[in-house]
Amino acid sequence: MTTNDHAQGPTATPPIVATVRIAARPDVVFAYFTDPALITTWLAESATLDPRPGGAFDVDVAGNPVRGKFVEVDAPHRVVFTWGVEGEAGMPPDSTTVEVTLAADGEDTVVTLTHRGLTGDFRRSHEDGWPRRLGALAPIAAGARSGPAG
Amino acid sequence: MPAPGEPESPAGPDAVLRALADPHRREIVRLVRDTEMPAGQIAANFALTQQAVSQHLMVLKRAGVLEERRDGTRRLYRFRRASLEPVQELLDEFWPDALERLRDVVERDHPRQSPRSERKGTK
Repeated sequence: MTTNDHAQGPTATPPIVATVRIAARPDVVFAYFTDPALITTWLAESATLDPRPGGAFDVDVAGNPVRGKFVEVDAPHRVVFTWGVEGEAGMPPDSTTVEVTLAADGEDTVVTLTHRGLTGDFRRSHEDGWPRRLGALAPIAAGARSGPAG
Repeated sequence: MPAPGEPESPAGPDAVLRALADPHRREIVRLVRDTEMPAGQIAANFALTQQAVSQHLMVLKRAGVLEERRDGTRRLYRFRRASLEPVQELLDEFWPDALERLRDVVERDHPRQSPRSERKGTK
């Protein structure tokens, strides 16, 4: 067993946080995270969703089989699900977590999304962390390029 | 940003992504992430022909993920950490881009009724 200084070096980054304001009420927006017919309009090409704790959160994003589970479903304000890629040793299903909050602001909704666990801070060994990060980068970044339609 | 004197990824993020899309190549990168290693020693870790490993090394080198150095007849490889920076930028853009698509779709599907454009067809 060896210690590994790299575990807290360049691979340790804070969670990804993204936010957007949408001119619609939270209950309208919430369904776009839990209804397969709606999540496929903006995030995924196909989806199997069972929006209750422990239920499936399975979406194909830019050809990558993202497999996870709903952790919390608190309509219309909060939904948490895990995120990983099947067959991808570097970022297996359940290895990262996405938390979405929907806050009403007047007639609008402010969506805040926090994606944790992509780097560094892992349950597994330090040795495993770095290749996991590599695996995480490739499919997600590929999705960033093409989006659900392409 | 790369350190001064260190080249950008010569082939850009797409090439880096393609290079990393293969589990053997990710394993190669894992092997050399902290240490320079000759091709033969890398190949010894795989149940692949030396030729197949050389091909993988070539892809990684062309993408800028690995740096090659010759020492006599040996070729040594080491990881270029800077090569992942463009990929990291793409990753950072994934959710913001997705949420912008979400906004556009929701606002298209649920146009807000302005006071003057009352919905026709409702009584």
